[in-house]
Amino acid sequence: MAAQASPAQASTSGTTGLRPAVVIGGNRIPFARSNGKYSTASNQEMLTAALDGLVARFGLQGQRMGAVAAGAVLKHSKDFNLVRESVLGTALSPTTPAYDVQMACATGMEAIGSLANKIRLGQIESGIGGGVDTTSDAPIAVSEGLRAVLLELSRARTLQQRLGALSKFRPKDLTPNAPGTGEPRTGMSMGDHQAVTTAAWGITRQAQDELALASHRNLAAAYDRHFFDDLITPFRGVSKDTNLRADSTLEKLGTLKPAFGRNLGEKATMTAGNSTPLTDGASAVLLGSEDYAREHDLPMLANFVDFEAGAVDFVNGEEGLLMAPAYAVPRLLARNGLTLQDFDFYEIHEAFAGTVLSTLAAWEDPDFCRDKLGLENALGSIDRGRLNVNGSSLAAGHPFAATGGRIVATLAKMLHEKGSGRGLVSVCAAGGQGVVAILEAR
Amino acid sequence: MSRRDVRLDAVPALPRLYAEALANQVRTKLTGSSGALVLPEVEHSVDGVRADVPRLEAYQQLVGDTVRPTLPSVFVHGTVFPVAMSVLAARDFPLPLLGMVHLSNQVEHLRPIGVDEALDVRAWADKLRDHHAGTAVDVVCEASVGGEVVWVGTSTYLAKGIWAGQRPERRRDRPEFVAPVQTGAWRLGAGAGREYAAVLGDYNPIHLGALPAKALGMKRQIAHGMFLAGKALAQTAPREGGYHWDIVFEAPVLLPATVSFGVATTDRLRSFEGWNATSGRRHFHGAVRPL
Amino acid sequence: MADNYLKLVNTGFTKDLAKSLGLPRPSILRRYRPGQPLVPGPVVVLGAGAAAHELTETLLGWGLDVRRHAGGSEKLGALILALDAVEAPADLSAVALETGAALRSLLPGGRVVSISRPAVPTDAPARSAARHGVTGMVRSLGREMRGGATANGILLAEGIGADAPSATAALHFLLSGRSAYVDGQFLTVDSPRGELPVDWDQPLAGKVAVVTGAARGIGAAIARTLHRDGATIVAVDVPQAGDALAQVANDVRGTTLQLDVTREDAGTMIMDHALGRHGRLDIVIHNAGITRDKLLANMDAARWDSVIAVNLESQLRMNEAFLAADLPGLRIVSLASTSGIAGNRGQTNYAASKAGVIGMVAATAPAMAAREGGINAVAPGFIETEMTARIPVATRTVGRMLMPSLMQGGQPLDVAEAIGFLASDAAGGINGQTLRVCGQSLVGA
Repeated sequence: MAAQASPAQASTSGTTGLRPAVVIGGNRIPFARSNGKYSTASNQEMLTAALDGLVARFGLQGQRMGAVAAGAVLKHSKDFNLVRESVLGTALSPTTPAYDVQMACATGMEAIGSLANKIRLGQIESGIGGGVDTTSDAPIAVSEGLRAVLLELSRARTLQQRLGALSKFRPKDLTPNAPGTGEPRTGMSMGDHQAVTTAAWGITRQAQDELALASHRNLAAAYDRHFFDDLITPFRGVSKDTNLRADSTLEKLGTLKPAFGRNLGEKATMTAGNSTPLTDGASAVLLGSEDYAREHDLPMLANFVDFEAGAVDFVNGEEGLLMAPAYAVPRLLARNGLTLQDFDFYEIHEAFAGTVLSTLAAWEDPDFCRDKLGLENALGSIDRGRLNVNGSSLAAGHPFAATGGRIVATLAKMLHEKGSGRGLVSVCAAGGQGVVAILEAR
Repeated sequence: MSRRDVRLDAVPALPRLYAEALANQVRTKLTGSSGALVLPEVEHSVDGVRADVPRLEAYQQLVGDTVRPTLPSVFVHGTVFPVAMSVLAARDFPLPLLGMVHLSNQVEHLRPIGVDEALDVRAWADKLRDHHAGTAVDVVCEASVGGEVVWVGTSTYLAKGIWAGQRPERRRDRPEFVAPVQTGAWRLGAGAGREYAAVLGDYNPIHLGALPAKALGMKRQIAHGMFLAGKALAQTAPREGGYHWDIVFEAPVLLPATVSFGVATTDRLRSFEGWNATSGRRHFHGAVRPL
Repeated sequence: MADNYLKLVNTGFTKDLAKSLGLPRPSILRRYRPGQPLVPGPVVVLGAGAAAHELTETLLGWGLDVRRHAGGSEKLGALILALDAVEAPADLSAVALETGAALRSLLPGGRVVSISRPAVPTDAPARSAARHGVTGMVRSLGREMRGGATANGILLAEGIGADAPSATAALHFLLSGRSAYVDGQFLTVDSPRGELPVDWDQPLAGKVAVVTGAARGIGAAIARTLHRDGATIVAVDVPQAGDALAQVANDVRGTTLQLDVTREDAGTMIMDHALGRHGRLDIVIHNAGITRDKLLANMDAARWDSVIAVNLESQLRMNEAFLAADLPGLRIVSLASTSGIAGNRGQTNYAASKAGVIGMVAATAPAMAAREGGINAVAPGFIETEMTARIPVATRTVGRMLMPSLMQGGQPLDVAEAIGFLASDAAGGINGQTLRVCGQSLVGA
């Protein structure tokens, strides 16, 4: 493993021989708490707005991009071609191909990562990756019972068959089904799953509240220093994330009652304050080859070096629902000849404060690293001063599929401002999944 | 010991068996002839039993299993169990079927069973024994394909308040239940019993609604034990190869309910438990082990 | 925001009704459309100075039908008054009277443009009187014109010929529909600099122009107009206006820069963006501005200071940065206001900032000229924007109709056209000036 000789200096190219994929910039609309400012905005409208803001920022009007990849976690059936339909509403060339991606909360990361791969392979020169979600304008389905009746009715050819189908209708079938945040296989909410993990790792209420507070303070400070001026385009009169509470304090956070894992009694530590709320929003990231960026006089903020997906068996209790990144990161580090400490910034998605802290605790734990990750030693601690330095989901909110785009754009800009170094991205997702990635400053 | 074979034309319908059993119980009550607690030396059998595909799919969807053309173990149970019920509902069976409590199951699911395989089913009662709360009995069902045994299920039932001999000492109190790590939450509606009955035909009144359940001494309708087992196995059963599984039922699940569920795996043994987070009472526990 | 009154009095039976009732009848102005003729009919050049000959050559070069005398019943597109040689008041008479005789022949949307020399303190009194007299005559003529026709003048500094590039460009601008709402105004050409465009319909081809406050109103119109004339647009506005800004940028195929211009580093941010993304910076339009109206007696520090900070101080700071960067040939146009000239009740802060802009432009001009660039201002009058649309209908109708000679409010486009002209290389000989775009409003006259 000669490559490991000097990982700090080595170019972190996970798969050598490929050209770099460059993060050029990003755009998102401010994230808004569910059933608030964007309550009547559709996914398509929000994604179109995020894309149009990006197009405006980088002068992409009329361009045929290599591809636009994005997605939404909660989608209406009419939005089967959500991203393409959104692209058609933007100032991009209508000859830009687009496709939908869905990997729960990692949708944005997977969309961006797969575009980066296409760029690295030379298949495309440019691409826009991102995501959108609304829990306000969420799809509501008819009940399974009514659906079955309606489908049978549509197939019926005779009056008798029609009456037969109708006879199966029951009044309770009229109750519609709204999407929940429950895991389909376990029936537990994501928060209740995380509450189990949080308790298992002994993460204290205090530590979670402190992380939440830091998130709000960091995000507010980033706004104050105009950090987001070229990362956000307002939407519907909102120019700042509406979940941000710049004046939050540990005392205020401390008054909140546990919202998840209430079965745990004393061990229930997760509140609305240290968990992300349901949020609406959209994000987009512009990627390109170096040639593309140079040809169009576009900035090169960072290389999207490599990414890795992980998944855990949470259904059978082998691992906590949101712990997949803990497994994916060591694989990504090994492939790139890096250690956990070789990063200048860590962007660990704050689904819950407990998620971030459990993941960090796992990496610090020699037993976990040996037994679960198959490593000789623990991955070790990170410098907490490098963690989510411009805020994360606890403050900004988390419109599921839009979070990856928010993180990649933010991190790329941070790296570019610093002018050197690397950043690690970790995003957990429903279904026991996660996507992690490495970016490198330019 | 060889048993007399009572060959049935087809798998009997459970409602008819329940009705027959009720008639038998009424007659026994009227005539007062309880008779000796001796199991008859019979086995009931049906050959060429095939799974009904729409019913299989309905079952798989109901318990959250993957829809695929092999039979989940609990679905096999549901398909063949009426043959065992035929044994229990027969006039020569010494315990009253209605009101018997389902205690546990142990199943050898010896290999994956295809949906198109014809099952030859035999069922008999075995091991009548004293229990601190009454008399327990095992009902064994065996399914084979072309002479190869593929599935053997033993269900243990309890006839409360009936003893053949001395009433045994009450077993010492169980250790207090400590909830394991939760991995799931099942939200079961008031109609969960009716839904399961509609799929597998087990219309035991205690599962159907509050009124019939109350008539049989329950507070409210309760979930089918095999429905709970089916949901547990949908998560835990291996997808390939044979396996052994068992389940022990404790506090009944009064519907509607949220059942907390936990799975843990040590080596190859995957154990699971279901409990009520509010009352702290355990509903069931069991395990799955690949063969 | 259509001016319904304007439509009513110019179409159908309501036109006749308005006529017979003697209601004021503002005309539909002749506004520029790419490809349209420069003037609606033949051009008559009056006067006998050296300019008369040069102007005739210029006009013929544009393919126009040029006459040296008015006469007959022929309808005319424009009258050019060559008054560059007047030495005494008596010299005005012939041209004035000939102009008067030809006025009835002027087509709707016609133009009167005078060419003369500015009075300077070294002039003999009679010459100064004559030269100054020209301005009074032309301004009054503006008030007498009908049918959306206008009267404006070009002042040639000593030593500048009527064929100087900027004199030619000013003439072209004043004749064209681009100057539709410019009336009773004078443009001074004081340098032989300036480069005429290859294509008069694309005077800004290849230029990169930054427009601040571009998200809406006049700023958006400026972005669209400069883009139409060939410029690549960097649309700047505060981050809070980013969504409207993106729409403007996407319409004009430009780029957005969400930036609060009061930031210390605003000038650097603008240069970094323009140079980094578009390779150059040719034009800056300081359009961003705010109003915080209050009678001075009720004024608070926040209102006063914010208006001065946004409308004036930010521009001073950015200009310093641009000058320090020595951008070659940079042309800056600032937004002043007729409030800054005439004053306006409730706008002490705003008028201070806008009058300040006029002073700033004049004082910055030499430094800009030293770098082959220039800086000028445009002072809009009553312009129909989202802001003025909120004025009650009656007040608005009377206000826009009675005050200016053109009897109507201007459009954001009218301001943008003037800015586009001053931002062009062809206006290189015009520096440090403030051009009013007010339809010859009485305010500040």
